[in-house]
Amino acid sequence: MGDGRGGGGGNRPAWLQLYDLVGKIGEGTYGLVFLARPKQRKGCIAIKKFKQSKDGDGVSPTAIREIMLLREINHENVVKLVNVHINHADMSLYLAFDYAEHDLYEIIRHHREKLNHPINQYTVKSLLWQLLNGLNYLHSNWIIHRDLKPSNILVMGDGEEHGVVKIADFGLARIYQAPLKPLFENGVVVTIWYRAPELLLGAKHYTSAVDMWAVGCIFAELLTLKPLFQGVEVKATPNPFQLDQLDKIFKVLGHPTPEKWPTLVNLPFWQTDLQHIQGHKYDNAGLHSYVHLPQKSPAYDLLSKMLEYDPRKRISAAQALEHEYFRLDPLPGRNALVTSQPGEKAVNYPARPVDTTTDFEGTASVQQPMSANAIPGGVTAQSMAGPRPGPRQISMVGMQRMPVGSMAAFNIPSQAGMNLNPGGIPMQRGPAGQAHPQQLRRKDPAMGMQNPGYPQQKRRF
Amino acid sequence: MADFQTSTHRSRWIFSPEDLVEKHETANQRAAKMLEQYGTTRLEVSVDGSLSYPEPIHDQRENERQSTSKPLSCEEEQLMQVFYEQKIQEVCGAFMFPHKNSGMGIMATAIIYFKRFYLQWSVMEHHPKHIMLTCIYASCKVEENHVSAEELGKGIQQDHKMILNNEMLVLQSLGFDLIVYAPYRPIEGFVADMEEFCQSRIDEPSKFKDLIETAKSEVDKIMLTDAPLLFPPGQLALAALCRSNEVHRVLDFCYLEGIFNRQCASHSTLELTESLKAVDFLVEKLKIPTAKDMRHIDRKLKNCLDPSSVDESKKREKRSKHKSKRTGSETHGVPSEM
Repeated sequence: MGDGRGGGGGNRPAWLQLYDLVGKIGEGTYGLVFLARPKQRKGCIAIKKFKQSKDGDGVSPTAIREIMLLREINHENVVKLVNVHINHADMSLYLAFDYAEHDLYEIIRHHREKLNHPINQYTVKSLLWQLLNGLNYLHSNWIIHRDLKPSNILVMGDGEEHGVVKIADFGLARIYQAPLKPLFENGVVVTIWYRAPELLLGAKHYTSAVDMWAVGCIFAELLTLKPLFQGVEVKATPNPFQLDQLDKIFKVLGHPTPEKWPTLVNLPFWQTDLQHIQGHKYDNAGLHSYVHLPQKSPAYDLLSKMLEYDPRKRISAAQALEHEYFRLDPLPGRNALVTSQPGEKAVNYPARPVDTTTDFEGTASVQQPMSANAIPGGVTAQSMAGPRPGPRQISMVGMQRMPVGSMAAFNIPSQAGMNLNPGGIPMQRGPAGQAHPQQLRRKDPAMGMQNPGYPQQKRRF
Repeated sequence: MADFQTSTHRSRWIFSPEDLVEKHETANQRAAKMLEQYGTTRLEVSVDGSLSYPEPIHDQRENERQSTSKPLSCEEEQLMQVFYEQKIQEVCGAFMFPHKNSGMGIMATAIIYFKRFYLQWSVMEHHPKHIMLTCIYASCKVEENHVSAEELGKGIQQDHKMILNNEMLVLQSLGFDLIVYAPYRPIEGFVADMEEFCQSRIDEPSKFKDLIETAKSEVDKIMLTDAPLLFPPGQLALAALCRSNEVHRVLDFCYLEGIFNRQCASHSTLELTESLKAVDFLVEKLKIPTAKDMRHIDRKLKNCLDPSSVDESKKREKRSKHKSKRTGSETHGVPSEM
């Protein structure tokens, strides 16, 4: 490694200088998402900034959770973490992802508000298949996403991966075996429209089936262009019990019964809120009429299996991928945004809206900047004083240079944490350096399946 | 849990013995060189988590004084790491993390973080006491058992600011590879499997309980060696079970054969036996530092980190020399050759 002295650590660009900021593309409870263009290479990058944890308790646990999962994940239908940047000044983390131009929220909205016609069959099927493919990968790696909704399902724009689905936002994701806390303890507000009934009824132990419920809701929304269960959220209390949301579900699917869902009687809110929950009676299940699908169609069959009340009976991602729906014409494909018929006109989807009037909030440091890379021997005493911070706010119009803050460029090293890569070269998780004896364990043959075998190809499970 | 086969643990953090030696030497030599050039090895971590390096020495007189500080040797660093790894076990035990099993997970994760950290840094650059606490803190966050830094600091009468200051440095040094696989859980898996395998032949099911308990304490020892950086957790667990079985004699070796017959022939029995032997060897030669070793190393480290105190401590050293000789013999553990 050498001692790197005299290498001029101070000349190394603060990581912000590696990018041109385009604007803000998202905002959530965790922080902000920016669109940026790396100066060194083609393509765009989405940079997600995590707020500092509020209680002065170090690095945001949400950020840690998301990074640690993303570091282990590698799948075509899951977003790719390209870089992690650190702002030492406020201990915030910036995650850089390959930028996906579209998301299901915007695609659905475009059809609903601009085009006034449904999304074509091929696109719906391809989006759904890829979403399930990514989810199957996550679930076979024991990861539950827990926050699937249209705005978290991204679709790549023009380029080599055009029309490829990427599941994003792992801030709430969990590995099953870690003790799962109920959602409300996280203090994060999640849209309730995609929340599974067992969660709404207070289940403490939930499974990957919660993700499948969300997929069912998204599937219906792709077909009808509007959210299937649009409950009104009670925000006053951090309570998972959302009566209106349950009511909306019951109205469409009919009332759940202990006969069909035996463990229903064990759920806290079913027990304690007999009057409200069981008060209304909805007998006529009318899902098919809501989604305008014939009851005998394969699409309807798949949808109803995703929206099965009993989480134990609900279809799994692996089973869903095998469903008849995906074997009938039009077959799903890798580029969901092209048309299946030659004569058909492809929809030109607008990119996610970009707010160009913003800057990387908080990136300019007002404190004495001490930019340092935690690279052993990589920094000299003299080189420590980083570049001066630029003005704190620069009004931004369109393409904008970012203010230089006290940032340390950090690239996840490709070699066992040693050669931290100063050049801003995208990280790559190399294969095992040497042949290692495999861990002794019986392995599910479907685990870690990476190859997105589209249905037209032969697949083995 | 995410899959070990495709994990960063497997792809980036399992090394050959030569790799380990090289990494430790590199860090040690870098710190030694710094001591020579700057008279101190301490890297200050400021409130914002950034590092600052010592000023070079210009003053001739100061320079002469510095030469009295001797850097730690690799062996001394190693001993010090073992000492603080034991401390991690102690602190985690004392904290009684809610569930026994997740407590084990927190402890093992913290030790592995600590080991990975010191593949890149010398104890002369970052004091292991601080890093130890930060590793426990980070491990609690990752294992979904969030303990506030303040609480953790209070529990062990340490300044929690130190924990927070070092957090980013530790995370960064770990390359944000935070999911690690501890050998405790596989023990349970193997034993469940053994129970099935031996059902007809073992008449005392309680024996398995003993087998597990002893195996877990064997893992505790294994965690103090280099083995977790050399072998996958499944093999560490198996090695611990073999050691435990030598005590309890629950199984004969045909269980191992049984394992292989079910594996997809990616290893031979021979390879596995070799690995298990290697782990065994590491445990046998594990050198637990005595109080005397630690006093000596601590003093050296203090001189490296804070040379201005060198004269002061020299006086004290003389005064306490007689005393320390006496207490040194009282300490338990494997005697040091130093």
